[in-house]
Amino acid sequence: MSNDALIQTVALEKTYRTGSVETPALNGVDLELHAREFTAVAGPSGSGKSTLLHLLGGLDRPSSGEIFLEGTAMSGLSKDQLSRLRLTNIGFVFQAYNLIPVLTVLENTAFVLELQGIVRSERIERARKILGELGIEEYADQYPNRISGGEQQRVAVARAVVSDPSIVLADEPTANLDTTTSLDLIDLMRRLNSEKGATFFFATHDNRLLDRVNRLITLVDGEVANDELR
Amino acid sequence: MKAAIRHLKRNKGRSLLTLLAVLIPVYTLVFMFGFASANLRDMFETATGLESGHFQVREVQERATGGTLPLIDDAAPILATLDAEERVAWRTVRLDVPALASAGNRSQAILVQGVEPETVARITPIETLIVDGEYLASGTNGAVLGEELAVTLDLTVGDDVILLGVHPDAAMGVLRVPIVGIYDAPDASMGRSLIQIDLDSARALVRRPTAATAVVAMVDGVTGPWDVDVIDEVTSDISASLPAGFEIVDWRQLAPIVDSYMRILRPMLLLIAGTFFALGALVVVNTLYLSVMERTREIGLILALGSSRRRVMGMILTEAGLISGIGALYGAVVGVALIWIVEAIGGIPLPRQFADMMRALGLSGVLHLRIDTANVILSAVIMAAIAMIAALFPAWRATKFEPVEAMRYVE
Repeated sequence: MSNDALIQTVALEKTYRTGSVETPALNGVDLELHAREFTAVAGPSGSGKSTLLHLLGGLDRPSSGEIFLEGTAMSGLSKDQLSRLRLTNIGFVFQAYNLIPVLTVLENTAFVLELQGIVRSERIERARKILGELGIEEYADQYPNRISGGEQQRVAVARAVVSDPSIVLADEPTANLDTTTSLDLIDLMRRLNSEKGATFFFATHDNRLLDRVNRLITLVDGEVANDELR
Repeated sequence: MKAAIRHLKRNKGRSLLTLLAVLIPVYTLVFMFGFASANLRDMFETATGLESGHFQVREVQERATGGTLPLIDDAAPILATLDAEERVAWRTVRLDVPALASAGNRSQAILVQGVEPETVARITPIETLIVDGEYLASGTNGAVLGEELAVTLDLTVGDDVILLGVHPDAAMGVLRVPIVGIYDAPDASMGRSLIQIDLDSARALVRRPTAATAVVAMVDGVTGPWDVDVIDEVTSDISASLPAGFEIVDWRQLAPIVDSYMRILRPMLLLIAGTFFALGALVVVNTLYLSVMERTREIGLILALGSSRRRVMGMILTEAGLISGIGALYGAVVGVALIWIVEAIGGIPLPRQFADMMRALGLSGVLHLRIDTANVILSAVIMAAIAMIAALFPAWRATKFEPVEAMRYVE
């Protein structure tokens, strides 16, 4: 493993089994992701983008191969250790159902900090600060169902970066958004990357977003077909 | 906690159902125990108050006396033993003598009960049942008899009755006693067969100036059948210090029907309570399980973000604890309020046939309820605890979600 890689995957494979039917999703993916990168993984549906993100985020386990996160082999970690790793090292933005409906925007943003055991006053301060930076502080006391889908995804991004994780993994974060809102969200993520040094790795199949990334990995049939810096 | 309250508010219908699943068993049980408790208390008080007391000291019966209690020549040693025990609240001497009562050319086999008029009121209701004349006074020669016997012997207050004592341990004795009062007996057989006279007069009837057939006693601090352990403890201690030849007969032997009733009632109540608890628990499991399944994605998200499974379990159990606690509390309040209302309006009158039956047993014809604090607290706490135990399954189920699969879950 190279010394400066934030994440490295080695011969990563994932095969889903339904009864006797085996469906390969990833076939020997070797990757290195570095701090401060703003990377998109693109590819058609079924190419393995979401699977790769889930494996990198410790939400699922590979069938074979290994993932190193800051030098730690993830295959050796228990479920509880993986949970702890996700909590402290990884920020997540999902395609939908990102927010907890009974918590306000502010509470959703501070939720990860609460899980980390940070005292209330500090987590509220940090959550308000990031909401302010992302221009959505006015929604702080609203519940998720009272704000738009784009605003909800902004809140999800705020929650993902509020604890300063090593990397933010976003699985098709713009899939349910219109073009303008999608571009706004990617620009927001890009700004966090350039201003705060947050590392992003997100999956998309929306070509309109790709000219905003500085690295593009293309997956086809579970294999890295292209990996280019821009 | 805040999130748990909001979750409960989010689905008000289901939360209400869960609340009712805890509330209804609790108030039903509080009400049921309130009835059983009052009923048992009435039976116990009737049994111990009509005749037997909490216990009696008698002479050990070594030979058959045809159902008559053997004579104690001198009750003084027994009284000394009882007086030395401070937990004995009260005691009285009684002398029961089988006799023939005659007036004119009419006679009737009866039981003459020699009593101490000043103290006997605690174990006989006769003083309160006098319908003509007055009750006995200590040291005066007089008798009170039931209306039925007065009719049979054609007697009225002021008339004399001839009593022929036939106790097997004593020679026959004859006594002429004026009727000072007539009572309305709770049941006809008592009214036909029981005459009370002063203890000294009864002793004259058996020609033994210190005789008795029993010393009847009540124990301090006994408010109902739930305090029988206190009686058992006291009788056990007294039994050890009684002079030889005497024995203690406790309320169980004196009123076996009450003891049997209590033995039957307790397991029945426990069975009913268990059924209510189980039904409540099933509804709690069902509604919380549905709630967990509906929130599969949300729980998946929480797990994905790095929450520990213990925290997810805690989240579900906090909701269960809240709703169980509130349900149990309100259940107890509703149950107590219902009892209070019923008692405020004077109880529930029983239908005539039942009321007559109850009165024949010396019980009230009105159904009363009693707020038994221990039962109220136990019903509420046990139901809440069972609801929490029931919530463990859905809570455990929630911890078994795999984040990715849970977030893909389609309702």
